[in-house]
Amino acid sequence: MVYMIEELYNHIGGDYAKAISRMQNDERIKKYLKFFLMDESYQQLAQAMEAHNCEEAFRGAHTLKGVSQNMAFAVLGNIVEQITEELRAKDFDKALETFPKVTESYQKVIEEIKRIME
Amino acid sequence: MEEKNTLLIADDVMINRELLKDIFEENYEILEASNGEEAIELLDKHQDEIALLFLDLVMPKKDGLEVMHHMSLNGMISTIPVIMITGEATVESDVRAYELGAADIIYKPFEPAVVIRRAQNIIELFRHRISIEKELELRTQELIESKRKIEQSNIFLTNALSAVVEFRSLESGEHIQRVKKFTRIMLWHWRALFGENQFTNEQIELMVNASALHDVGKIAIPDNILLKPGRLTDEEYAEMKKHTIYGCQMLEHFKQEENEFYQYCYDICRYHHERYNGKGYPDGLQGDEIPVWAQVVSIVDVYDALVNKRVYKDSFTIDQAFRMIHDGECGIFSPKLLECFDDAREELTIETQKEQQKVENGKGG
Repeated sequence: MVYMIEELYNHIGGDYAKAISRMQNDERIKKYLKFFLMDESYQQLAQAMEAHNCEEAFRGAHTLKGVSQNMAFAVLGNIVEQITEELRAKDFDKALETFPKVTESYQKVIEEIKRIME
Repeated sequence: MEEKNTLLIADDVMINRELLKDIFEENYEILEASNGEEAIELLDKHQDEIALLFLDLVMPKKDGLEVMHHMSLNGMISTIPVIMITGEATVESDVRAYELGAADIIYKPFEPAVVIRRAQNIIELFRHRISIEKELELRTQELIESKRKIEQSNIFLTNALSAVVEFRSLESGEHIQRVKKFTRIMLWHWRALFGENQFTNEQIELMVNASALHDVGKIAIPDNILLKPGRLTDEEYAEMKKHTIYGCQMLEHFKQEENEFYQYCYDICRYHHERYNGKGYPDGLQGDEIPVWAQVVSIVDVYDALVNKRVYKDSFTIDQAFRMIHDGECGIFSPKLLECFDDAREELTIETQKEQQKVENGKGG
């Protein structure tokens, strides 16, 4: 399992060393990966982007940023941070451009997690 | 003091709560709130157990700001430390968190070792501060209590000493008590009328207590003079006047440097027969040379002697007494003192009538 978790972090551009220092062991990391699957902030963001609701989108992005960074998902965290700032500045057009990258990165993380959970 | 052993974690994101829970659940009871409303409910219910609140600023229903506002209104902000959890480190948001009363700020993502150390430090700090405050409160209570006791023994001693005089001089036993009451009334009116002499309540009470000793020197006057029913000869009167000096000589044995109470007692004993025009005794002081407290006692002493029966005279009515004092029949008082005397007339009258009623009742029963 050690290898699996570390590999997952490598695949999705995460920082495994940080994750271990924060969550202490792979057992715990796995628990949080499950929580990450249950987290609904991406859905909140996606629905708000669809509905052009900038404020709601900001809240979703803000939460997703915190969660991603806590999990030490570096690549996802960075792109979500970018869209969070764009939404904070109420630059919705820019956020619309960024959003597909967020989705792509998020999907990749979710797929990888699901793969090792099976 | 019982140790508080509960942490409240208020964050709408479950992963964030779980991370903190993992760090602390070994040593603390954990309460979780996923929005501001829940946080407030839990705070109200468990405020005596909660050692620390981790508070996310951005939450649904009520946000962290409202939670802190609630804590301020209910006095919890000074007993429960708040560590603000925030996603971004901007100077404005940090300043705002501290302004609201946050004890510390922790940025996501958390570093467990740092979070643990900070939480422990803050819990310790609050515990320490609260115990110091309790200790201070206790000490203050003790101080107030011992001060009250000292004041009471002061009153007791002055009353005891003045009772000795009354006992020997066959004066009405209530004279001293009335002088104290009238002195208090006069000093309050004096303060209200003449702003430049702002006595504190405490100073007024010291003067009132000191007024009980105004005739203490009479202890040293021989019986054949003090108790003489008829008119005193010039020689006898000269001796009688010395009670002002004798009183001071007695007090000097107990002299306390820099002691306000001693100073009031001394001034009142010595100068309560001085008059504004310098025709009083023993020193013939004039005008403002006579301390206000001694002036006040001099006028109420005269007033009380007039409205009450003495071995050598019948009592006058209150109206007669006021007129006689204004006409200078009992010596000249300062215009300010007379103004104050008139200002206090209503209260002096009420108090005088009350005292006379007491005497009447005493006779009847």
